Amino acid sequence: MFENSEIAQDDLPQVDSVSWLGMDEKFVRRLLAENALALGFVIIGIVFLQFVISTAFADDNVNISLGWLWLMIPVAAVPFFVWPSISVPRKGYALRDKDIIYKSGVFWRTVTAIPFNRIQHVEQSSTPLDRHFEIATLQIFTAGGSGGDLKIHGLPATVAEQLRVFILDKVGASIERR
Amino acid sequence: MSVADQENWLHTSPLAAIFYLGKIYQNIAKNAIPTLAPLFVLLLATEGDLTYRIIFALSVFVILTITGAFLQYWFFRYRIAENSVLIREGVFKKTQLDIKFDRIQAISTQQNIVFRAFGLVSIKLDTAGSAKQEGHLPAVKTSLADALKERIRREAQTISSTRKATSDADGEEHSENGARTLLKLDGADMLKIGLSSNRAWVFLVLLAPAIEYFDQKFGDNIDKQVVLSAFEGAEARVAGVIVLVMMILLGFLLFIVIASIVGAFLRYHRFELVADNDVLRSTGGLLTRHEHSVNLAKIQTVVATQGFMLRLFKRFRLRAKQASSGRPGTGKNLVVPLCEPGQLPMLCHEIFGAEFTDVVLEPTAAAFLPIDKHYVRSRIMLTGILPATAIAALMSIPLGPYALLFLLWIPIDAFGVSRLYRRYGVLATADGLALRRGFIGYQVTAFLHRKVQRISVTQTLPQRRRGLATLRFYLASGSVKVPYVDFKKACELRDYILYRIESSELAWH
Repeated sequence: MFENSEIAQDDLPQVDSVSWLGMDEKFVRRLLAENALALGFVIIGIVFLQFVISTAFADDNVNISLGWLWLMIPVAAVPFFVWPSISVPRKGYALRDKDIIYKSGVFWRTVTAIPFNRIQHVEQSSTPLDRHFEIATLQIFTAGGSGGDLKIHGLPATVAEQLRVFILDKVGASIERR
Repeated sequence: MSVADQENWLHTSPLAAIFYLGKIYQNIAKNAIPTLAPLFVLLLATEGDLTYRIIFALSVFVILTITGAFLQYWFFRYRIAENSVLIREGVFKKTQLDIKFDRIQAISTQQNIVFRAFGLVSIKLDTAGSAKQEGHLPAVKTSLADALKERIRREAQTISSTRKATSDADGEEHSENGARTLLKLDGADMLKIGLSSNRAWVFLVLLAPAIEYFDQKFGDNIDKQVVLSAFEGAEARVAGVIVLVMMILLGFLLFIVIASIVGAFLRYHRFELVADNDVLRSTGGLLTRHEHSVNLAKIQTVVATQGFMLRLFKRFRLRAKQASSGRPGTGKNLVVPLCEPGQLPMLCHEIFGAEFTDVVLEPTAAAFLPIDKHYVRSRIMLTGILPATAIAALMSIPLGPYALLFLLWIPIDAFGVSRLYRRYGVLATADGLALRRGFIGYQVTAFLHRKVQRISVTQTLPQRRRGLATLRFYLASGSVKVPYVDFKKACELRDYILYRIESSELAWH
């Protein structure tokens, strides 16, 4: 006989009572490095533009100044370099027996929970910059895939690999049970 | 490939060429310019008079497409293996498709007049995942389609045997092999479907500003002409033009309405919804009979919609959504184009069985609870006050005090937002959830908790101050957003649904 006895809400495991694990401590530095690189490219671009303009109009005695562009750099750089140390500490993940939980966001705080028995596949990836800091991204795919699949960026590479194996193991187990 | 293997591969009927011809013409219609360009080059390059050249080009075109269609037929081979359908196709680019039976979400068949005369159908095998993984079996015997359907039904039964057990335990009569007709639509219904088709009314809404524009433009012209024109009758002539334009537009509108009624007949004529054990099957169509079957276990969400016209007719449109690949428009739905409010509970019962008995799809039901009223305030702020004041401030430089007119957007927006707010309603039961929303009409989406793929709870800064949150459920058929609910309740619901998913032994697909 099929039974479905009622369960009190307080008896259910609560997502908010988990202890969160933070991202890799090198993650802030990795994001800063990426931003620094991007800024470096922008500076190179402006220098090149200045060079092109000055050679093109060298004969015409026209002095075109790109001063305002140079001014933009420190203005843009401040949020670029402050943001990672604000956002990274607010990211976190937690593993439970039957699901994985991920939180992120500074202004819009989101907590996402994915049960293992709904995961289609798991992907681990890393860019060259990630590898330099021994960091990896774990991407978890569920069916439908609307609204983008869950991406956890900033895990230590070893942890990401362990998580991938662990989750796949759990996913496989849940399939067999069916 | 050994000789024995080769013998196992089957050809479809040569009439499959018709199917491919249709596909080729569809593709040409989709990218008309690149495909027809060579033809035009041919047309210009050949000598002789124009009629001759056109006839020549047309015959080349027809011969090429027919040859292409026959080649595609010739290189198409299929085989029904023990637990999968194997397809080998492609003239230049070879495609090998192995579709496992348990991956097949639904089987739909199409039968045009020629196929009907020869007892053939085109089968489409919908799989979960990308649209490219879809299998077509063009022009095969009807008996094969039936056999495949039966095979997939059995596959579903082994998966959902537990599900059956629960519904049997409910003491419900389950007649094996008993196909029951749930719903039939007649000619008058086709009229309603055609009239309530969105296309006609979207066009009307789009047209409204255009009519206004023409009206103004001609109005201005009349003023100018009255002053400037040296001859009599210009005013009358302009008025005549306006009337003519209006007539053309009205005629066009009438054409679209008639076209959508004809479309309804073509698509849904003698529509029938049949429940056959674990399968829901819809058939309908005038020239081409469309058949769509879906396993009940594969249905992810059920959506009942009632637009403006359907509200007048007091009817609903029901869609049973299946898993989609995430890209919009790729989801497969079983559509019931028209049903009476009284039929909704019956259809729900057929789809959800004993699993979700307290589901309500009628939007006026008292069971729906409103969302938090702070929704109104924050939405008006975000979509009304902030953009309107910003634009008014910006525009005050060139327009002066007239820029204040932009502030009129705020009351319009407030009206719209309060309407949206009143349409929102949530019904969370022990087994599933139903969300009501809408603007002009209603849309009620219902799903079982165990079909949810993942859940997120999001809080914005103001929401955090007031202890509110936005819940989002991701299902294989798309996501469902429940905005502005109590944070504590949202967390409780999430924890409960996670428990339901994780303790569910049933497959979600």
